Amino acid sequence: MTPDPSFVTKDVASVFARQTLLDRDLVRQPERPVVRLLPWLNVVTLGGRSIIDRGSETIKPIIDVLRAVMPMHRLLILTGPGVRARHVLGVGLDLGLPTGVLAAMMSTEAEQNGRMIAALLAEDGVSYLSHTTVAHQLAVHLAASRAAVSNGFPPYGVYEFPPADGKIPPHRTDSGAFLLADAYGAAKTIYVKDVEGVYTRDPALEGGDPPELLARVSVAELAERGIETLPIDPIVLELMPTAKRVKEIQIISGLDPGNITKALAGEHVGTIIHA
Amino acid sequence: MGASGPDGSLQSMLMNRSLSDPALQAASAQAPDYPILPDVNVLKVGGQSLMDRGRAAIYPIVEELAEAKRTHQMLIGTGAGTRARHAYALAMDLGLPTGVLTDVGSAVSGQNAQMLGYLMARHGVPVVGDAGLGVVALKVAESGAAIFAGMPPYDMWQHVPAEGVIPPYRTDAGCFLVAEVYGARQMIYVKDEDGLYTANPKTDESATLIPEITVDELIERDLADLVIERPVLELMRNARHIKSVQVINGLRPGLITRALAGEHVGTIITAA
Repeated sequence: MTPDPSFVTKDVASVFARQTLLDRDLVRQPERPVVRLLPWLNVVTLGGRSIIDRGSETIKPIIDVLRAVMPMHRLLILTGPGVRARHVLGVGLDLGLPTGVLAAMMSTEAEQNGRMIAALLAEDGVSYLSHTTVAHQLAVHLAASRAAVSNGFPPYGVYEFPPADGKIPPHRTDSGAFLLADAYGAAKTIYVKDVEGVYTRDPALEGGDPPELLARVSVAELAERGIETLPIDPIVLELMPTAKRVKEIQIISGLDPGNITKALAGEHVGTIIHA
Repeated sequence: MGASGPDGSLQSMLMNRSLSDPALQAASAQAPDYPILPDVNVLKVGGQSLMDRGRAAIYPIVEELAEAKRTHQMLIGTGAGTRARHAYALAMDLGLPTGVLTDVGSAVSGQNAQMLGYLMARHGVPVVGDAGLGVVALKVAESGAAIFAGMPPYDMWQHVPAEGVIPPYRTDAGCFLVAEVYGARQMIYVKDEDGLYTANPKTDESATLIPEITVDELIERDLADLVIERPVLELMRNARHIKSVQVINGLRPGLITRALAGEHVGTIITAA
């Protein structure tokens, strides 16, 4: 069906040569285990609204804990954007800007929070790393230091997906941290929030049965329960089943910073969600 | 902009609710859509389908694009192609994760952008480093066209496919999202087939051309092979600006020009 037989493609021989990469049978190769690039990595995400917006009273004790655990655990600390992202989202929506631009604006706020956290840990050898550095030079930075800080948002920017409903960027801190942790094959993926974990119903809502903390719950069970609001972005639950190495995540309260120490030591505090 | 508005308003919900709250998301749908570059046409020049064919395919396309930019503003994205396929196969064999494959694929689409850029340099067409706005508007306004690497910059944050490790969002998706975020006039995929077929026309002689189809029909037909990355279909469903794309044959001279003029010369896939 090619109009002129003189068109010769210059191929590099490979199992995928001359195919669309879209034929399900052809791309189905024997599944190889994906290696953990940084098997000792712990990804610790500090919520923007839930933790950082609370200010020094909440942040300072967390910084002390992070400093104390660094000799035992190598950390990539990621930050969310918090209330300023809500503001810039409001301005951007009002201006009619598209989701991709909104995502870029919100991401800047998560970065600023990361820079502030890194500044507080600077004397311990901790620096803020850009997305590019995290993607390409995390290994050397964590060989030189026990911890580094970066932006929890993924670098989607103008390439953010349009969401199914409305214009709010779907990939934010929680999913950014999860995708990165899985790509590196992190040992632990911990979300530090202002609630103890996932409850049977949103504890902030009044009336109904008293909420109970779910200690360990599967993605499927969570979906079945249909809890109105979760302490983690629901898109993470959609990403978890296909993840290659990160099969569980832990949600803990940073209002008691000792939880961070316990979670890193492998203790079951908060809620563990598994694929 | 005030910190909050009346209860139930978008502004008050933004301050008080989870960003995953369905009511907030629905309210955000009421926001206006301001097209950033409404006169720009986004084209994707295929990697395996065109660039890998060398000058036989590319020289005529360069001439056609150079002529077309007199009357149409264009952002031209490039695909990756056979070297990416080799690198994907090697990386997969080594057990590397999707994020690393994404990076490798980006480099190949970047090479193609650079090579196309050298060929179009005499026509004053620049290669822009990334499609984040930067100087894109100026370059397109001044020279009528700019070239960019089509791979989205997802890097180590790329979605992981259900099977295997090949990055699901590649250059078709990257170019589509550029068209969508800029509210472009249209999205044209320039490949080496007349459009979408019922099967891969390169391997299946019984394949027939589908001139027009909706995303829903396409998903329902569940074709084993496809001329366009599957995730683009889902992106199209949710897009606010780009409601249809056209896949055309860049090996047939004149079709790029006619597609730019709004003619139906390949397969048109529509969201609704």
